[in-house]
Amino acid sequence: MPDILNTSLTGLRAFQNALATTSHNIANVNTDGFSRQRVNFGTMPAQNVGVGYIGSGVQPQSITRIFDQYRVDSLRTNVSEEARLGAFNDLAGGIDGLLASPDSGLSQPLQDYFSALQTVADSPSSVSARQVAISQANVLSDRFSTLNTRLEDQNDQVNARLSQAVTQVNALAESVADLNLAIRDAQAAAGGAPPNDLLDQRDLVLQQLSEQIAIDVVDQGDAGMSVFVGNGQALVLGGDASQLTLAQCEFPSANPEVALLTATGTTMPLVGANGGEIGGLLDFRREMLDPTRNTLGQMAIGLTEVMNAQNRAGMDLDGNLGGDLFSVGTPVVTASTGNTGGGDVSVQVTSASGLTPSDYLLAYDGGSYTLTRLDTGATVPMTGSGTALDPFVADGLNLTVNAPSAAGDSFLIRPTNGAAGDFSVVLTDPRGIAAAVPIISAADLTNNTGTGSIAGDRVIDPTDPALLAPVTIEFLDAGNYSINGVGSFPYSADAPITANGWEVTISGAPDAGDVFTVTSNAGGVGDNRNAQALSDAFDGGIFSGGTVSIQERFESLVSQVATDTRRSGINLTAQTAITEQARTEQLSVSGVNLDEEAANMIRYQQAYQAIAQMIGVADTLFQTVLSVTRN
Amino acid sequence: MRISTVAMQRLAINSILNQQSELSRTQLQVSTGNRIINPSDDPLGTQRIMELDSTLERIGQFRENGELARVRLSLEDNALSNATDIIQRARELVVQGSNDTYTAQSRGLIATEIRQLADSLLETANSQNGQGEYLFSGFRSRTESFSRGSAGVVYNGDQGQRQLRVSESQQVADGDPGSRVFLEVPTGNGTFAVAAATTNTGGAVIVPGAVVDPAAYDGDDYQIQFTAADAFDIVDSGGAVVQSGTFTEGETIAFRGIAVRIDGPPDAGDSFNVNPSSYQDMFATLDAIATALENTGESAMARAQTRTALNAGLANLDQSIDRLVQMRTEVGSRLSMLETQDRANDEYQLQLETTRSDIRDLDFAEAVGRLNLQLTGLQAAQQTYTRVQGLSLFNFL
Repeated sequence: MPDILNTSLTGLRAFQNALATTSHNIANVNTDGFSRQRVNFGTMPAQNVGVGYIGSGVQPQSITRIFDQYRVDSLRTNVSEEARLGAFNDLAGGIDGLLASPDSGLSQPLQDYFSALQTVADSPSSVSARQVAISQANVLSDRFSTLNTRLEDQNDQVNARLSQAVTQVNALAESVADLNLAIRDAQAAAGGAPPNDLLDQRDLVLQQLSEQIAIDVVDQGDAGMSVFVGNGQALVLGGDASQLTLAQCEFPSANPEVALLTATGTTMPLVGANGGEIGGLLDFRREMLDPTRNTLGQMAIGLTEVMNAQNRAGMDLDGNLGGDLFSVGTPVVTASTGNTGGGDVSVQVTSASGLTPSDYLLAYDGGSYTLTRLDTGATVPMTGSGTALDPFVADGLNLTVNAPSAAGDSFLIRPTNGAAGDFSVVLTDPRGIAAAVPIISAADLTNNTGTGSIAGDRVIDPTDPALLAPVTIEFLDAGNYSINGVGSFPYSADAPITANGWEVTISGAPDAGDVFTVTSNAGGVGDNRNAQALSDAFDGGIFSGGTVSIQERFESLVSQVATDTRRSGINLTAQTAITEQARTEQLSVSGVNLDEEAANMIRYQQAYQAIAQMIGVADTLFQTVLSVTRN
Repeated sequence: MRISTVAMQRLAINSILNQQSELSRTQLQVSTGNRIINPSDDPLGTQRIMELDSTLERIGQFRENGELARVRLSLEDNALSNATDIIQRARELVVQGSNDTYTAQSRGLIATEIRQLADSLLETANSQNGQGEYLFSGFRSRTESFSRGSAGVVYNGDQGQRQLRVSESQQVADGDPGSRVFLEVPTGNGTFAVAAATTNTGGAVIVPGAVVDPAAYDGDDYQIQFTAADAFDIVDSGGAVVQSGTFTEGETIAFRGIAVRIDGPPDAGDSFNVNPSSYQDMFATLDAIATALENTGESAMARAQTRTALNAGLANLDQSIDRLVQMRTEVGSRLSMLETQDRANDEYQLQLETTRSDIRDLDFAEAVGRLNLQLTGLQAAQQTYTRVQGLSLFNFL
């Protein structure tokens, strides 16, 4: 015979459990990663009383958390992507503002330098105009190095954040491994009942881990959740966690990479690391920071090349041939630490017009060298044989193999990376600006009878030892001329006449006996022809085969960075909305709703009160029986 | 859909945060007056603004260059005007001095004045600009343009001519070399010059002639040789007789496309040269005139020599005036080109500034309207939050 009292007691116990779970839910309404829990009731075994079965009460069968694995996984993936975009966008905004700001960008100093060159062209004999040009050149080079320093700071910041993220990953991976063990033990101890709060905790730690780096999670049943990163390297296997580290990998001059610490203590580069804070930082460094620094270097190299060449083709205020205006950093070549040969490679920039802002990898397979552009991954064809006399030539670079390599050796070549940092003005004396062309041509006014005129003085080879030697061009007849009394060259109007490293043009119809002279322009302090040429060289096409000027190169850099920043901003906004959606969906299953809990509380409270009344009934029944026997 | 209490709060808070961030952006726009705060706000617009900024800076520089050129050309024009006045005065004096009634003494006085004019011309030719550069030294602008030596006035400059950039495509010369202004002056009538042989004994004077048929003139050296007082041969540079004729005083002698006249009676054996024009500098012209005026005699031969020299001087002075007028015309056309360019730059500048303003500057009416809308939105979000959060079943227990 079932016992009302016992049956009621099962109810009391069950509803106490239910109320306790409800209060656990309410208490954890604000706990991150908490999934609401539910007591699942079942009936006690019924008793056969001959005429049928009478139930013997209720028993809690299980306490489970309410969750949807798909939604948890989806939220985790989205959180990882949001963290990646967040880190990228955060840092990109820094460069974006930096480049275009009038206080730190290059636009204003570039314009000012152009104006200063024009001022020298206006008054080439004025030392103060020249002083302005030197000062503006210094402002420009300072701005280059300031920008470069700011970008280096950014690089340091990226490395510091990477290091923090790696530390976090290691701690979180450890937690996942620990939780895997704890969950296994707790489940075994409870006869297979789920340790809900530990499971929530593990999901939360996995989500936090994915904020640092994209992870693949594989449920391996009793062994727990295994975590893989990059191209499938194991970070957590059951109760064992590996460690990440930040290490200088193949090339000591390159940036530190995220690597996996192996059991033997060696580091192995983590190929394919992406997602999360780490992914965002690596993307930023690869897609924005390095290209920006390299482009600045490219600009500094181009500017140095054309301005120095033009100044050397001129004559300064004291009648001396011009020298260099700027100096700039040279390419950095680093041998791989894995090289087995004693190979040595040196690299020079030969022409800014072919130079790209990329880094390169030179690899030797035992037979030939292969040059790979690192930003596109494309193989760059090289001409030449690599010797000092016939170097490899590619993309505006000369590559010389000074000592042979072994098969499998490789070299990292960074032609532009450090160039902007070492960009400086070497000309300090304002008189050294070569505003004049070193030669001046003249017609013999008292002698000439023809209509010939001479112009277009230009230096082709400033190193020609006879450059400044006086030269007489005398017309033997209307169609032929001699140079310094030697030879007979056919005259063609407007065709350049070259000698001693210079070029002039005679036009019109000279008569026989007409004489033109080309002499040193020393004393021609009012000559601004080379100052105009300097200004034109600064203004003209320097890059991309001579089609892009320095101002345009900078504008396109700013535009590129702005576009990338804008894209990452838009992506971040979209991803934030998607993540929020995923979170809401996950919470809609697992999150606590206080109104719902209030209703459950009332429900269980009422049930508890009702079953308590049944104990009263049982008591009344008992008292009734007692009073009958007492009477 | 079931909503959890945390999700509901997150939604409300996120909405408020978003509105606040939008609001702060609008606030920044309004307070700076710029539509673009960061380049990433409008990458294309940023690039456009940078291009416009750069073009505007350049126009500004070109205008400065143009102004400098204008100042220098005005100075040159002044100097040329001075020089023209000097040569004009010299011409008047020569015309006076040619008058046969003048005595040797009064001619001496004229010669003195001519020499003073030559000094003034030298001074003018050595003009400097405000920066101490000589106007007429070519590229050797810190070297005195002309100096007087034992062999007359010498030019110390060169034939260089400085060009200043006044627009993307145009350059303008800010001066002219002294060689072109003062040295390169053709003699005679610009095509040929006449002279009397120093051995002439007669009283004949050759008058600078003219070209009548440019196609027939071949530029050879010719000599009119008087075989008798009334007969002449015209001999070319090879010694061949080109033409012979009978001489009538005051009659034009025409040959090879040119015509010259000989006044007064020649002696047999006198000869006159007709050579292609060469160049003679203005200082030498003035010197020659002064020398001719200082060395006059009373004989027919001496008078004829003085007349011939003064005729030649007069022709050379006319050429000098022509050259100076030509230079002033060139300078004037450069000045007017500068003015046209300046106006064009003005217009271009205005147009670029308008474009830049369209891209860069904030539309205040639109921004303030947006600001109000965002304020209202934020307020509504906040009110909704407090109202919704106040609702809880627990309140009714």
